[in-house]
Amino acid sequence: MTASSFPLSPKATMTIPWVTTVARLVLGGVLIAAGGLKIGNPADSVVAVKAYQLLPESVAVPVGYALPILEIVVGLLLVVGLLTRVAGVIAGVLMFAFVFGIAWAWANGLRIDCGCFGGGGQLAAGQEPAYLLDIVRDFGLVLLAAWAVRFPPGRFALDGALGLEGGRRDDEEDER
Amino acid sequence: MTTKGGRTNTMPKSARDKIKEQQAAARARERRKRLATYVTTGVVALAAVGAGWWYAAMNSRSEEAAGRLAPVSIQPDGSVVMAQAGVTGPVVDIYEDFQCPACKELERVSGATFKNLALEGKAKVVYHPITIFSQEPTRSNSLRAANAARCVADGKQWMAFHDLLFRNQPSETEPGFTPDQLKAWGKEAGVTSPGFDACVTQEKNREAQAAYSKKILDGQKIQHTPTVKLNGTEIDNGVLFSPRQLRDEITGAAK
Repeated sequence: MTASSFPLSPKATMTIPWVTTVARLVLGGVLIAAGGLKIGNPADSVVAVKAYQLLPESVAVPVGYALPILEIVVGLLLVVGLLTRVAGVIAGVLMFAFVFGIAWAWANGLRIDCGCFGGGGQLAAGQEPAYLLDIVRDFGLVLLAAWAVRFPPGRFALDGALGLEGGRRDDEEDER
Repeated sequence: MTTKGGRTNTMPKSARDKIKEQQAAARARERRKRLATYVTTGVVALAAVGAGWWYAAMNSRSEEAAGRLAPVSIQPDGSVVMAQAGVTGPVVDIYEDFQCPACKELERVSGATFKNLALEGKAKVVYHPITIFSQEPTRSNSLRAANAARCVADGKQWMAFHDLLFRNQPSETEPGFTPDQLKAWGKEAGVTSPGFDACVTQEKNREAQAAYSKKILDGQKIQHTPTVKLNGTEIDNGVLFSPRQLRDEITGAAK
């Protein structure tokens, strides 16, 4: 058992999988919502990516097309707890990239909507960017992803049911 | 002694080994099965991402520009009509701002569709370059660009200039569309009229552009650019950025 290799109290071994489940559901839910709101409008997604002025046009366009579906698939994997570790790593990297992008926009004085949940691009007059809020939220999601990667797969996870992660009896061979 | 002792010990040991071997084999099978499940799930997830990506890219794939254009004529108010002689409908009104990134994206994705439909005589396309920005530096960028476009008198040159403006759209955070750039793009678009350079630098049409924009924004109730209307009804964004759907919607309106 993975948990037995750490000096954890019985209470912690009980709690940790539930925390992972909550982390998976929150992170997955946010990703599905973000992707779902964008997927009907790939052009908006492309414009939102370009608004950061971080990627050259030839890269920004495919990234804009790929982001919504990637968010949805990774979000679904997290919610059902399948390939938890891999999905967690991808979600964490995505969120970290978003934190970086928003910080970049802020540092460069761009006045844009982060485009996190559709929309995006230049703000209208009178609108103020919510960079700090966006960064805090996305960084919180990075932490949830890290937790899910560290303690997969949590309760109510297909990984557990399929014996893919957690409850392995031959962990020592995998860790070598 | 040793052989005898060895023999007595060998029997139960080999039985134990056998069980161990079986257990090891079962574990290996389990591992293989897990690996297969893991890989299968991973492949399915990757395929889903790939399919969604491909669909988005296909849905937004631009038409091949024919290269030729339907006759383009510049109207006194600054709007520009592109249509074959005698074609009066369906009318496609394009409200766009040279400084707006989403308009640039519209031109990149669906610009060829508008030109092709006009060339095929399937639509009367009307461009309305407006200035929607109220803040600097975007407002002045937009006004400078639109002023320069109004300095072009020839329809074909106007369209080439229009395309160049969108292709070279500056960032929204810094002054762009400088007079020197605009003059150079004018030459590139084939503008030869002697008054062009002075018209660009003196911003002769700035007031006219600002007044026209206000009139259009209020009169047509434009909330955002790009706005494209088909016979007066706004086309949905999802359709607008999908050249195939856009073509179907416009040709469908002709019936």
